[in-house]
Amino acid sequence: MNIYRRFIEAAEKLKRKTAKENYTLRLAYLAGVLCLAGAMSSCEVLDQEPQAEVSEDIAISNKKGAQAALAGLYDQLQSGNYYGSNLLIMGDISSDVAQSIGTWDFYREMDTYLIDKSNLETGNFWTRAYRAINVANNIIEQVPPLADITEEEKNKIIGQAYLVRGLAYFDLTKVFGGVPGVVGTLGVPIITKPSRKVDESFFPSRASLEESYGQVESDLLTALEMLPEAHQTDLLTRSQAVKGTARALLSRLYLYLGKPEQAITYADAIIADPKYSLVASFANIFSSKFTTEAIFELNFNSADQSGINNWYYPSSLGGRGDIMAHTSFYEEATADPNDVRGKMFGYYQSKDVHYPTKYGKTSAIDNIQIIRLGEVYLNRAEARAKTGDVDGALADLNTIRQRAGIAPIEGLTDAQEALRAIWHERKLELAFEGHSFFDLVRTGQALNELTGIPRTNGPDVNLADPARQVFPIPAFDMDANKNLVQNEAYK
Amino acid sequence: MKHLLLIFFLTLSVPSALSAFAQGRTVTGVVTSEADGSPLPGVSVLLKGTTTGVTTGLDGNYQLTVPVQGGTLVFRYIGFQIREVEIGSQSTINVSLASDEKLLKEVVVTGYGEQDRKTLTSAQTSVSSEEIANLPAASSDQLLQGRAAGVQVASNTGTPGGGVFVRVRGSSSINGSSDPLYVVDGVPIQANNLSGIDLGGGTTSPIADINPADIESMEILKDASATAIYGARAANGVVLITTKRGSSGKAKVSLGMYTGIQNAPRLPDVVDGPTYERLMNEAFINNGKAPKYANPDGAISTDWADAVFRTGKISNYDLSVSGGTDKVHYLVSANHFNQEGVMIGSDFKRNTARVNLDFYPVDKLKVGTSILYSRNERNRLRNDDNISGAMPGTFAFPANLPYYKPDGSYTKFSIFENPIAAVKESDIQMSTNRFLGSVFAEYEITNGLRLRSSFSLDNSTVLEDLYDNTLLNNGAGTNGFGLSLATQNDNWIQENVLSYEFARNEHSFNVLLGTTLQESAFSMTQAVGEQFPSNDFRKITSAAVQRSSSNASSWGIASFFTRIGYDYKDKYLATINVRRDASSRFGADNRWGTFPSVALGWVVSEEAFFEPMPDFVGDVKIRASYGITGNQSGISDFQALGLWGGSSAYADIPGVSPVQLANPDLKWETTAQTDIGLDLGLFNNRVNIIADYYVKKTSDLLLAVPLPRTSGFNSLVQNYGALENKGFELAVIADVIKSEDFTWNANFNIASNKNKVTKLAAPFNVYNRDLFRYEEGYPLYSFYFHEQTGVDPATGDIQFADVDGDGEFDPNVDRKIVGDANPDFFGGFTNTLNYKAFDLSFFLQYSYGNDQLNWNRFFSEHGGVRDFNFMKSQLDRWQKPGDVTMVPKMTAANYAGNLRPSRFLEDGSYMRLKNISLGYTLPQALVSKVGISRARVYITGQNVFTVTKYTGLDPELTGIGDNPLAQGIEFYSLPQPRVFMGGFNLSF
Repeated sequence: MNIYRRFIEAAEKLKRKTAKENYTLRLAYLAGVLCLAGAMSSCEVLDQEPQAEVSEDIAISNKKGAQAALAGLYDQLQSGNYYGSNLLIMGDISSDVAQSIGTWDFYREMDTYLIDKSNLETGNFWTRAYRAINVANNIIEQVPPLADITEEEKNKIIGQAYLVRGLAYFDLTKVFGGVPGVVGTLGVPIITKPSRKVDESFFPSRASLEESYGQVESDLLTALEMLPEAHQTDLLTRSQAVKGTARALLSRLYLYLGKPEQAITYADAIIADPKYSLVASFANIFSSKFTTEAIFELNFNSADQSGINNWYYPSSLGGRGDIMAHTSFYEEATADPNDVRGKMFGYYQSKDVHYPTKYGKTSAIDNIQIIRLGEVYLNRAEARAKTGDVDGALADLNTIRQRAGIAPIEGLTDAQEALRAIWHERKLELAFEGHSFFDLVRTGQALNELTGIPRTNGPDVNLADPARQVFPIPAFDMDANKNLVQNEAYK
Repeated sequence: MKHLLLIFFLTLSVPSALSAFAQGRTVTGVVTSEADGSPLPGVSVLLKGTTTGVTTGLDGNYQLTVPVQGGTLVFRYIGFQIREVEIGSQSTINVSLASDEKLLKEVVVTGYGEQDRKTLTSAQTSVSSEEIANLPAASSDQLLQGRAAGVQVASNTGTPGGGVFVRVRGSSSINGSSDPLYVVDGVPIQANNLSGIDLGGGTTSPIADINPADIESMEILKDASATAIYGARAANGVVLITTKRGSSGKAKVSLGMYTGIQNAPRLPDVVDGPTYERLMNEAFINNGKAPKYANPDGAISTDWADAVFRTGKISNYDLSVSGGTDKVHYLVSANHFNQEGVMIGSDFKRNTARVNLDFYPVDKLKVGTSILYSRNERNRLRNDDNISGAMPGTFAFPANLPYYKPDGSYTKFSIFENPIAAVKESDIQMSTNRFLGSVFAEYEITNGLRLRSSFSLDNSTVLEDLYDNTLLNNGAGTNGFGLSLATQNDNWIQENVLSYEFARNEHSFNVLLGTTLQESAFSMTQAVGEQFPSNDFRKITSAAVQRSSSNASSWGIASFFTRIGYDYKDKYLATINVRRDASSRFGADNRWGTFPSVALGWVVSEEAFFEPMPDFVGDVKIRASYGITGNQSGISDFQALGLWGGSSAYADIPGVSPVQLANPDLKWETTAQTDIGLDLGLFNNRVNIIADYYVKKTSDLLLAVPLPRTSGFNSLVQNYGALENKGFELAVIADVIKSEDFTWNANFNIASNKNKVTKLAAPFNVYNRDLFRYEEGYPLYSFYFHEQTGVDPATGDIQFADVDGDGEFDPNVDRKIVGDANPDFFGGFTNTLNYKAFDLSFFLQYSYGNDQLNWNRFFSEHGGVRDFNFMKSQLDRWQKPGDVTMVPKMTAANYAGNLRPSRFLEDGSYMRLKNISLGYTLPQALVSKVGISRARVYITGQNVFTVTKYTGLDPELTGIGDNPLAQGIEFYSLPQPRVFMGGFNLSF
């Protein structure tokens, strides 16, 4: 402020010197005023506050903040990088269910088993899943001390955070780690504290595959303990985590871990739960919202925008039309003319290929089925077959076949044959819901099944390298974190 | 605060403060040129020590009222020596002025002042209004191209009014902005792209709001001595734009007009229908499949480019009236500029009005205003990195498809939009209203001591409307899609500058003290509509689904600055600058930064020992400067804070999630620049050489340091990393021929800048497919590719360099930096010739040694793995053993999705005849009969021809506008237009 003082002094000097000249005096006076005003407002000018964001310290400081953070957590799952479209496409395009026919090389890389560690979509999934984990970690750490929430309410919120974190680690581990006994020994880095200040914790190593799945299991079990059976409304019960969500995911998890008994236990609980029942019309699961089939259905409105319709629908219908069904899969799905699931296709005439119509709503408001009852039946069928209960397995399988409008399979006694039938059913039932590739890897079929797959705009492709049953750790984190070890096929 | 200022200025203008001027006597006379005795119009005649003055008329006559006794008249005219004559008792004073041939005597605008070039210690280049007059450019920043050594200018797009890439002495930042600071009539203006609609990366230039014809001069401040007075925002250089002002004398009316046509010099080089089908068949056969097309010879051939490119019109009208009395100087001007882009649906229209006034209400006091109101309208297109654009469609749509289906609807293909639909159905409008105005008062307190205060506003309102009807892919899925955006950017700036010039014996000093406050607020409101009743309804009010949002942000900066200039006998020169800036963007502990600079100059030719030098050596000056400047741009307003944002709703439940990590230590990016320069006059100073060598070291880069994303964050903006720019600049300005009837002035400049990242936390890749890599030891804009070594002549398979030397090529690891977008050297060459009444100027502009990525070719030379049209370069493919080519056999493996072959990286060197203009000035005798003082007609060509090996549409296209880290890439952008036009200038 020295300059201002000098201005004032200069002005006063002038005042004495040129007192006769009225205007000069006035000017000098005003110059002084101006300087003072300037000095005062310089502080104002420097005090700017964000208007669209809040400080991290106050984001979760009360009940409202905790609830908003929880919504922000589900928002991560909604992202097009994750369940909004990407993870589903990754699961189907890496299999023989969906194929890339457009310009987007990243899915073409997956389609043709030439995936690169710089693959954008792989990186997007990794980034988004860990964002979800960070939000969950914030909730898990910051909600317990809050004063304005009841214990019950806290459990409800924290339980959901555990569930989403468990789901994210599950997805990360199956994509980048592998399946015990099939492929991979390394899991993914496990982060359980919120990220605030850059320190060593920002540069983790990969946990072992067992530790990774162990984290999934413990998060889901903690969630199961804390979550309520239901939320206030049916919509919330199906669009946010409840005990049923945890049980359903556990029935899936134990198939990955080769523990069929536990898978059966949790599947039993779901199938016995009166909230959940198969809907008669298969198409309704997708054309309606929140049917009784839905266990965890991500809710989208026109502001959220699930992007999956855009990838599968041709440009004449407002989509990008980059990803289509493999013609071989279309033929497989329509082999039985009675199969209602074979009706869920459209024909893209100018390309002579078919596309799935599971996601057919305009304005990108298709909901996404993270887990639904149909899968749980098939989880139990598979687990039962594994434990030698072939009859029980066929009963579950035929429940699903019956709903699809096709004849039951009867008279099978061999558990392996039953498993093959169940796996085939799984492929048809859950097509375009992001399961196929991971199911093939989990069941050890990938290297056999994924050979000689004909593509519309290229030669046949094969998954020849067993090490390519897992995706590469994204290049940006390999660059940024020296503690990470790359998967074998991408070194 | 604002109220107080208002009172201040209201009070200043109170007429009661004005004292009547004493009555006097009248002096008249004629001012002529000493050389030929011809009358000199426009000479400033001033009563010394006052602001009383006039300018001479057309015949060199003047008339001035002076006090009854005493007084001295000062005669000033650009290019002539100043003369002072004591009035004594004379009533007629005729004066002849001697021309001043010394270039170094010209007065140039500097930061917060003006200075005789002779005593300038800094590196700065002037671009005068003559050089840029009557050129068909929407935006003045484009006009700097090739004019100033070391200033690199390129275009992101040929779309009228589109964003421009300007670098002064290289890029000095990675995440921060590397754009220079623009200062118009002393006001640092808002120069960021304000368009909020992403049409594929194309940006708009806010400098286009200014009418080029209003510009008196542009000064590019390059070294730290010139820029440090702008402190924290000066690291990328400063462009000072000074607009024209009135001067005493009779009203001068200038009318200018030009009109012309423009088209694209090159169109997409794609194959015809039969060739497309034959090539596709070849790919299918090579991939072991049956041919796709049965009868390629019968295919139709559609020329998609023909349907969307056009010959556009360009026209410009300028009118200005300027003049003044001894109390008031005025200039008012109006401009209308209209440019149709080379593609249907892209237009730019500008209307501006300017009022620049200077009042001398009382002795020693000057108050004035500079006011610009500008309104722009743009019709915009999706293009660049956007699959819905017309340009992508023009490249991609196979030539064997018709424009329309048999039912009359648009043919649809793949993910792309039908180009005709893209230009005709999409409705994207942007209008900008900008007010840029300042009021100032300047008072000479005592002889040489002045106080100047100013208050300025720079307000922009941008309204954008986008409507996609159901005939477009974008609108089909949502039954019509509408987007409406209002963006407001408000800046105010208050400055006070106290300056004092004095001399003691042969020591001259000028001292400056100043303060600045600036506040900038941004706000945006957006509405989105879907589900429209029909294509006739375009406003969101009719949409069944409506969404909206709004956002706001702000920043402020407070500064003190000082400068001390010193010279001894015009021989030893020194300048010291210090600026202290505080910015709201940084943490409270790191707000203040100090930016000093020092410069020394030695006019060797003034030394006695210089006498024996041969005659052809004229003025010689050696300059050296060192200083530190800063950069605070390119980061968000609240980058230092750990923030959670609110736009994370889950369906109808409002949600929050983390946006960024806190970094309370965040501070300025700092650039230390050393400059050594030589100004040399030869042959009576008819040849002037200006040479500079500089080293710019930027440290504490505002860098988004990549974090392991397992943290939930991609990066943390830190002051981490360093880079340097080193280069030399050479400008040669020569009056090659100077005779009565024939003059030839040549202006050549060349510059080389070597840019290198010297410190980085970890290498990182940017842009789709990781095309660019930032790594220590490499320049910015380095391309990251698989180095293609050739094609096996025996098999036709693509061959790559085995980077890790393990004996086989693996796309995951064998990727490396294979080039960069920075030129080895670049510059321009201007020639101006006058023969009697004819004038001819031509301007060549060049860039050498830059790599340019032809990304269009990557998509269109696809070997059959995509189904879009081929570029003709595909015809060079390997077909049979023995073929030697870089384009491999058309198999899926050779064009696999994970390959980034370096063959698409081309030599981007070019030389372009940017401008050629031929003019004729009508004989004065003829035009004066109709009251015209000067009339000139001219024809001009712009981008007339280009010499380059680059095969894309335009080697000058540099980037995807919204990603400053990706430069040297052409990706579905419109090329610079070739313009032919004619026009005239009249003055009365």
